[in-house]
Amino acid sequence: MKIAFAKPSLPSEGAVAVGVLEGKVLTATALALDAKTQGGIARAVAASRFEGKKGQTLLILAPSGLEVSRVLLVGLGKAKEIDALAAQAFGGTAVGSLLTSGDGAAALAVDDLADSPLTTAEFAAQAAFGARLRSYRFDKYMTRQKKEDKPSLKKLTVLTEAHAEAKLSHARLDKIADGVFLTRDVVSEPANVIHPESLAERAETLKDLGIEVEVLGEKQMKKLGMGSLLGVGQGSDRESKLVIMRWQGSDKKDEAPVAFVGKGVTFDSGGISIKPAGGMEDMKWDMAGAGAVIGAMAALAGRKAKVNAIGVVGLVENMPSGTAQRPGDVVISMSGQTIEVINTDAEGRLVLADALWYTQDRFKPKFMIDLATLTGAIIISLGHEYAGLFASDDKLADRLASAGKAVGEQLWRLPMGEAYDKQIKSDIADMKNVGGREGGSITAAQFLKRFTNDVHWAHLDIAGMAWGKKDTATCPKGATAFGVRLLDRLVADFYEDKK
Amino acid sequence: MRISFAAIPATPEGTVAVGVWQGRKPCPSFTRLDGDGAWTKTLKRLGFDGEEEETELFLAPAPPLASLVVFGLGKPRKLDLPRLRRIGGAILEELDDSRALTATILADLEPEQVAELAYGLQLKSYRPMRKYRTKIDPDDEEDVVPVLEEVVVACADPAAAAALYAAREQVAQGVFLARDLTDEPGNVLGPDEFAQRARLLEALGVEVTVLDEGAIAEAGLNLLAAVGRGSNRPPRLVLLRWRGAEEKPLVLVGKGITFDSGGISIKFDDDEMDAMKADMAGAAAVMGAIRAVAGRKARAHVCGVLALAENMPSGSAQRPGDVVTSYSGLTVEIIDTDAEGRLVLADALAWAARTLDPAAMIDIATLTGSVEELLEAEHAGVYVNDDSFARRLLDHGKAEAEPLWRLPLTESCDEDIKSAIADTKNCAWGEVPDNDDAARFLWRFVPEGLPWAHIDMAGMEFADEDDPLCPESTTGFGVRLFDALAGG
Repeated sequence: MKIAFAKPSLPSEGAVAVGVLEGKVLTATALALDAKTQGGIARAVAASRFEGKKGQTLLILAPSGLEVSRVLLVGLGKAKEIDALAAQAFGGTAVGSLLTSGDGAAALAVDDLADSPLTTAEFAAQAAFGARLRSYRFDKYMTRQKKEDKPSLKKLTVLTEAHAEAKLSHARLDKIADGVFLTRDVVSEPANVIHPESLAERAETLKDLGIEVEVLGEKQMKKLGMGSLLGVGQGSDRESKLVIMRWQGSDKKDEAPVAFVGKGVTFDSGGISIKPAGGMEDMKWDMAGAGAVIGAMAALAGRKAKVNAIGVVGLVENMPSGTAQRPGDVVISMSGQTIEVINTDAEGRLVLADALWYTQDRFKPKFMIDLATLTGAIIISLGHEYAGLFASDDKLADRLASAGKAVGEQLWRLPMGEAYDKQIKSDIADMKNVGGREGGSITAAQFLKRFTNDVHWAHLDIAGMAWGKKDTATCPKGATAFGVRLLDRLVADFYEDKK
Repeated sequence: MRISFAAIPATPEGTVAVGVWQGRKPCPSFTRLDGDGAWTKTLKRLGFDGEEEETELFLAPAPPLASLVVFGLGKPRKLDLPRLRRIGGAILEELDDSRALTATILADLEPEQVAELAYGLQLKSYRPMRKYRTKIDPDDEEDVVPVLEEVVVACADPAAAAALYAAREQVAQGVFLARDLTDEPGNVLGPDEFAQRARLLEALGVEVTVLDEGAIAEAGLNLLAAVGRGSNRPPRLVLLRWRGAEEKPLVLVGKGITFDSGGISIKFDDDEMDAMKADMAGAAAVMGAIRAVAGRKARAHVCGVLALAENMPSGSAQRPGDVVTSYSGLTVEIIDTDAEGRLVLADALAWAARTLDPAAMIDIATLTGSVEELLEAEHAGVYVNDDSFARRLLDHGKAEAEPLWRLPLTESCDEDIKSAIADTKNCAWGEVPDNDDAARFLWRFVPEGLPWAHIDMAGMEFADEDDPLCPESTTGFGVRLFDALAGG
């Protein structure tokens, strides 16, 4: 879907979407349409249960007096509450209603609103951003899609007085959307298409954005002593990979980078500790942490963020076979610490252990943030509303939470401490890879902390957030790319060069 | 076991079986044996009435008889062919118990009746494989090896009976082949070994084509390849063609999962995984049917397609969530790697439809546990897209004692197998009619207008000891049905 910005004018074809404030208050364009239809819009609103509340829509087909095919009224809620997220939801909701309507073109009117905390230009840019985010489709394997199920909307024109300024502001957001889409693509792909090697190849396309990309194979990782990561991948015929992405955007070339580390288990059967069959197909997205890191790097480089950033993703496939690792195995991690593998299905932390150690060892970053679909326990405690946040540093935790709130990717901090750490004591090695059932997300975090070498670190357990079971205003059901906007915002708010 | 036909001897000797109608009405041969009426009195004393399938074994009759089996024929006007087969099976059990090496059956019946009785006798005489038994426990009744080698069926017109029986003997051999194949353990019979067994049918004039893993990949049979990729033993697609007439072929497609562990969606203990060696019973039935029509030189054009793969978990196995482009071009999301039979059949059906120009197509498979729960292995489930074809199948199933129960191709199943990423998915979790979903899934791979049936024979591949035409073993279900349908 193409997005353009233009001066307000009543369109003569396609669909037109306009905002209505809570209490059935028509915005300027809505009023203009109402006048053209001799009060038809107001009558339709009066006849409906549409109040103009946030998220509400009212579709009016072929209103008399207008040449457009349909008018879509989108509830804006209260003007003084229209922040960036609400503006995104406005654009996203409009696209959600119009994407498969049959219309090829639509106009989205963004009128000046005196009470909104956003400028009109910012409102328009954010609405366009939300519209694009909602327009995402992953239908490349649909060969027999019915015409009415296929997206028809090819072009969305945002009509606003501040069109030039909005376009400028949107250009930056559009790069973030590119990153989000890249992540959604790789997370949506089935595991016979996206595996360690092919995901590494997708990461290598970031070279086009000016990112340096290195891919390590099993031989090199063996040399580095990554016994923890390699143990996970040894059951699969697919070769494990470690991908290092480096964006040098800061004017200060020697400035310590920020570092993002992603869990990339391209398929997780559980290995010899095999999972029950029901729902196992979801395990194709057990690489969503790695997907988010790749997408975030693409977003930063795409918008030429003035920051030095490192992305490291550990890519493995966890399969049972005659060469797979066994429960009870002891592996030696790159850090030198030994790990008893109690459960081969607690494999994500084994991958991250070596990826984290490698990252701090090589790049001496300001901090490391890892993202992982790590534990089922986090879904039990936080559901699909918040990702779990664990951190060794309060400032980093606060900044992450604030960035998450700003972009609508919410985090909730959970505790860590010695008592939890004791649960992963092993009789044979320095630690084991699982504690008890209790506090499973926390003991996983304690495990990871042992591989941070006291570098400032945060861990985001995104198991409940990586995949959406239903459409939201700005994300169709499926891969959410949770983390991309969050990391981008964290950098933007706190770690870019000051102008 | 050998069966031959002869005239009724003047003085029967050795081990002899003779019939009595219901109400203890004697057949002529019985009357001759009875002489002074002592046997009639004995039967009366025992309460033997001559009902169909009623039998009695006498181990110490006066010489020259070694032992005597009396069998009931029921009422003359109710004596149809299925009953005669069952009576033959009942006689066989008594002859086995007599421990005779040879026996004579005195059959005062019409030639076709004689042939059918002999057919039942032969079907029941199948000896389950003992080749892996190195020790027999003589004290264990279950371990007693049958010794009967030959049965002479004595009747008024032995030449006519022999001629009518000859074709039935070939069908029985087809059934035995299917039973043997189904019983073979998974380590002995993998996809390639199965294909090699199929090659043996060339001796009967069957054209045999084997597609190995390279040819399967080249042809684009990607679903078949995907199911087999977890195993070290690559998949095979076998085409068997009996060209006994110049006409469009009847195409039979069999599911041949030589062992089904479930793959990455591995089965649990309580799934009785050892029985999964028989998850190729559909392919065995197809091969047995081709053996039958070729053996009796049927004037019919019949093709068999065997989709052979072993479903195993490994580092190269397919995963839940994978999307595969099928031979037909439809994309399939694999939700459960243990719903693999429909995947291999989907490719085999589409391939057969495109390359063989069928008159009609039937697939047969041990497909779903849910059909077994529904029909409790008393019927196989059958799904048909054509009513007159369905009637023919149901009629033949009844006549051949391979009963089918028609089940619906329900449109609401489409919602179950709708995928968010591909054209369809192979199954759904939760409270869904998996047997119906599977049938509906398969239908998508059959061209419009082509009469097609899907037989879900899960549970029908094993017989218990009460089966009138089969010992406690594998059944070879489907062979007689297909043979009858082929006709010619």
